[in-house]
Amino acid sequence: MAEIKIMVTVDNLKYRYPLTEELALKGVSLEIASGEFIGVIGPNMAGKSTLCQALVGLVPQFYHGAYGGRVIIDGLDAAHIELSKLASKVGIVFQNPFTQVTGAKMTVYDEVAFGLENMGLARTEMIRRIDEALTMLDIYEFRSHNPFDLSGGQMQRMAIASIIAMRPQVIIFDEPTSQLDPQGSEEVFKAVRSLSRQGMTIIMVEHKIEKIAKYADRVLLLHQGRVVDFDRPQKVFSRPDLENYGVTAPVFTNICKGLNITDKTSGLYPVTLDDTYRQLRANNSEFGK
Amino acid sequence: MNSMSLYQPRQSLIHRIDPISKIFYILAAVAVPFILPTVTVAVICLLVSAVILLLAKVFRKVIPLVGFSMVILLSVVVIQGLFMAENKIPLFRLGPLIFYQEGLSFALGLSLRVLNIISAFAILVLTTKPSDLIESLVRKGLSPKIGYVLSSVLQIIPQMTATMGTIMDAQRSRGMETEGKLAVRLKAFFPLIGPVVMNSLINTRERAMALEVRGFNSPVPKTFLNQEFKSAYSKIIQWTLILIIIMALVWRILGWLK
Repeated sequence: MAEIKIMVTVDNLKYRYPLTEELALKGVSLEIASGEFIGVIGPNMAGKSTLCQALVGLVPQFYHGAYGGRVIIDGLDAAHIELSKLASKVGIVFQNPFTQVTGAKMTVYDEVAFGLENMGLARTEMIRRIDEALTMLDIYEFRSHNPFDLSGGQMQRMAIASIIAMRPQVIIFDEPTSQLDPQGSEEVFKAVRSLSRQGMTIIMVEHKIEKIAKYADRVLLLHQGRVVDFDRPQKVFSRPDLENYGVTAPVFTNICKGLNITDKTSGLYPVTLDDTYRQLRANNSEFGK
Repeated sequence: MNSMSLYQPRQSLIHRIDPISKIFYILAAVAVPFILPTVTVAVICLLVSAVILLLAKVFRKVIPLVGFSMVILLSVVVIQGLFMAENKIPLFRLGPLIFYQEGLSFALGLSLRVLNIISAFAILVLTTKPSDLIESLVRKGLSPKIGYVLSSVLQIIPQMTATMGTIMDAQRSRGMETEGKLAVRLKAFFPLIGPVVMNSLINTRERAMALEVRGFNSPVPKTFLNQEFKSAYSKIIQWTLILIIIMALVWRILGWLK
C-alpha cells in the first residue's frame, strides 16, 4: 500500500486579530494528506476564513495579531517563510472574483501570467503553464478578453487558473461561489472537481452543503474557533447535534433521517442522491426496486 | 471595458516602434523648440509630429485634445496681445481693443510650444498600449511596484466609478435626491462618499492579499511574458534624436558666441 504523505499539518493553532479580545482560532489541530478534498463548514465567525488565511501565511504575516501554534505546509512553516516562497506550495482563491483581478493586465492571458512573472519563470515555461491552466479551466477562448469583461463565473475560473498556473500542491478555496449565480457556481465546482481528480490537495470553505457532501473526502466542522468534527461527510452530517453548530445537513440526509434510511452496519445516513439510491437498494426497500 | 487609456489600436509603422523611442521623441520635440526658440523651429517640430500622427492613422484623435487646449491658448493670446508689459507696436484694432505685436508674437511662440508638447505626447499615448509602456519602463529599471500602481490605476479607477454609480443608484432607489441644484448635489455627496470609500478600502485590502499570494513581493528578479520590443531601428531612432538635441544645443551656443 502506498505511503500517505501528510501535506498540511496544523498544530494547536491559536490566533487573535489585532484590536480584538476573543481568539478567532482556539487551538485548531489537524492533518491533511496529499490529494485529499477537504470541505470546511461552520457558521459565520467559526474561524473558517481565518484558518484559510493561516494556511497561506496571510495570518500572521499580513494581518499580524497574536499567533500561537504551527502551520506546516509540505515542510514549510507558513508563519515564518516568505509568502512568495509559500505561494509555490499553496494558493488561495478568495470569494470575490473582482478583487482577485490585479487590474494591471489588459488580457486574461497576461493576467494569468502575473504570478509566473513574479516567480521569475522563463517565457516558454510561462506559456506552457498558462495554456494548460486556461484549457483546464475551460476559458482558453477568453484569453484575449479584458479580465474585467468576464462574467463572475469566468472571472473566478480565471482566478483559479492564475493560482494553478503557479503549480501549488495545495489550493484553498474560501467560499469561491458565494458571489456567483448557479451557473457560475457550477462552472467553479466542475473546475475544482477536475483539479481534485488530478491529485491536487483541495481545501474548500463552502456554505453549499450539498456540494461539499458530494465532493469532499472529509469534512471539517468548525464552531467558534474550535474543531468540532473532522471526518467523512456521512459521519459529520449524521451527527444528531449538527444544527447546534449552525449547520444544516444536506437535503438527502434530512430526508433519510425522516424516513430512517440508514446504513445498517454503521448507522450513518446517506448524504447525496447516489448514496441514498444505493442505500435504498441495499436495504431492499420498495424505493430501490 | 472602460479604461482610462487613450490607446488607439491600429496597424501602423508608428505602433510598431518601441515605447522608449517614443519617449526619446517627446524629449526631442519638447527640448528643441526650447533650445531654439524661433517660430520656424516650433512649426517644423509641429509639422513632424503631425506627419507622425498621420502615419499612425490617429491624427483625428488628436483634434479633440488640441481643441481643448485651444480654449486656454486663445485666452493666452488675448491677454498677452492686449496687456503684456513689453507691448509697444500696435498691430491691429478690434473695436476699442488694441492688439500689440510683441504680445501676440510671444503668445504665438508659447502656443506653438504647448501644441508641440501635446502632439508629441499624443504620439506616445495614442499609439502605445499603457501596459507595454509600463513594461518597457520596468525593464529599464522602474520599480515593478510603481509600474503596478501606474498600470492598475488605468483600469481600477473606471471600476471604482462604476461602483460609485451602483451605490448612487441604490441611494436614488431609496428616495435620495441626487440631481438638481448644487445644494441638493452636495447633500447627496456625503452619504455617497462613505460607502464608496469603505468599499474601495475593503477591495484594496483584498486585492493586496491576492497580490501577495501571487508572489508580488518576491525577491526573485521579475521576468516578462511579452517579449521585449526589439527593433533594429530602435537604437538608430534613439541616437538620431539625441543627435538632434545635441545639434540644437551646439547651434544655440554658436549663436551666443557670434
